[in-house]
Amino acid sequence: MTTRKWQYLHYIVLFSIVGVGATAFFQLAGNSPLQLLIGIVTTLSYIGWGIIHHALHGDLHMKVVVEYAVIGLVAIFFLITVMGS
Amino acid sequence: MRDILVHLFVPLHTNNHRAKVLHVDSLMFLAVLYMGFYLVTGWVRTEYPDVLGYATDIRVEQLVALVNAKRAEHSLGPLTLNSELSQAAAGKAQDMLAKNYWAHTSPDGKVPWDFILGAGYQYSVAGENLAKNFSDSNGVITAWMNSSSHRDNLLKPGYRDIGFAVVNGVLNGEETTLVVQMFGAPKAVAAVVQKPIVKVAQAEEPTVVTTSVPATGLVEIPKEASAIAVAETNNSPATSGYYAATREPLIDRSALTKNVTYILGGLIIAVLLLDAWIVRRRRIVRIAGHNLAHALFVLTILYLVSQIVPGVVL
Repeated sequence: MTTRKWQYLHYIVLFSIVGVGATAFFQLAGNSPLQLLIGIVTTLSYIGWGIIHHALHGDLHMKVVVEYAVIGLVAIFFLITVMGS
Repeated sequence: MRDILVHLFVPLHTNNHRAKVLHVDSLMFLAVLYMGFYLVTGWVRTEYPDVLGYATDIRVEQLVALVNAKRAEHSLGPLTLNSELSQAAAGKAQDMLAKNYWAHTSPDGKVPWDFILGAGYQYSVAGENLAKNFSDSNGVITAWMNSSSHRDNLLKPGYRDIGFAVVNGVLNGEETTLVVQMFGAPKAVAAVVQKPIVKVAQAEEPTVVTTSVPATGLVEIPKEASAIAVAETNNSPATSGYYAATREPLIDRSALTKNVTYILGGLIIAVLLLDAWIVRRRRIVRIAGHNLAHALFVLTILYLVSQIVPGVVL
């Protein structure tokens, strides 16, 4: 498989993660605890996607892992604060 | 000043070719600042609810109209607002605030049917839905419709009457707007549409509460459901304080939090895209995460945030 095809495949997986996460989130409207759980699972999947993507690309470093984790943390904070307000 | 802004938002040799805002330490700083904002506004809300609280405007007539509209969409007959069920709902709301609980069963074991029978409504089938902290009537009904168990109550063909209580109060030390919804069918009516009384206990799903009348010595009082007008609840002294709940603080905390979230999330997305564009144009090679993937992810989270409505149902 060519590099470009790999890239497409990776981004299809990424779109699937956020798409499934968003759909589940809407299905659970009115149930904040489960919605938050879905948000956390989607975020962890995103971090996992980032790690696998960079590992396959050959540029995985601790700095990159931390960056994905921090972006994920910010996302979870967004959900927690808005749900808690 | 210009140098500082460039250092913060544009990848240069001074920031190791990545906008300083996107560095891990900067993102952590922003995250801590954001959580600090959340905690401070939470404290202000508790201490000064008139200044920074939550705005709400929920009215019983709107709730009844919305419920009946949903039932009409499913070819079901309308429910009539019943003063006894409204009185039962008001009693339940009063009990929750007085005893500080948020549940279908009170700490001393009182169930919804106790309130319904206590108000003088002799039922063969009854149900209860609860909601708190919603900003408007539509949000309450939407949340109930999105929960299968509450939806089952709203769309149950066997019900004939409905009662509501909407009230502001303090629950667990927090300013709250409670909505209590009671359903029922009087014995005489339900006997036609129901099979012999069966007790349905739903321990797994306490949000749907449907049961039969217990074998008590109470005398059944037949009533014509259609004869009970909406205005009757308006005039009932027992429920007059439970007909609407409005609150308009100086600043709505929920809207403020959402707006701050949009600004911070939007800033992160904008800097990610700017950084990606400059790095691509200058052909800079560096070790970092994918800006476009980050931007897509944060954008998705912001969209989810925009769909969150305040409030909890039970």
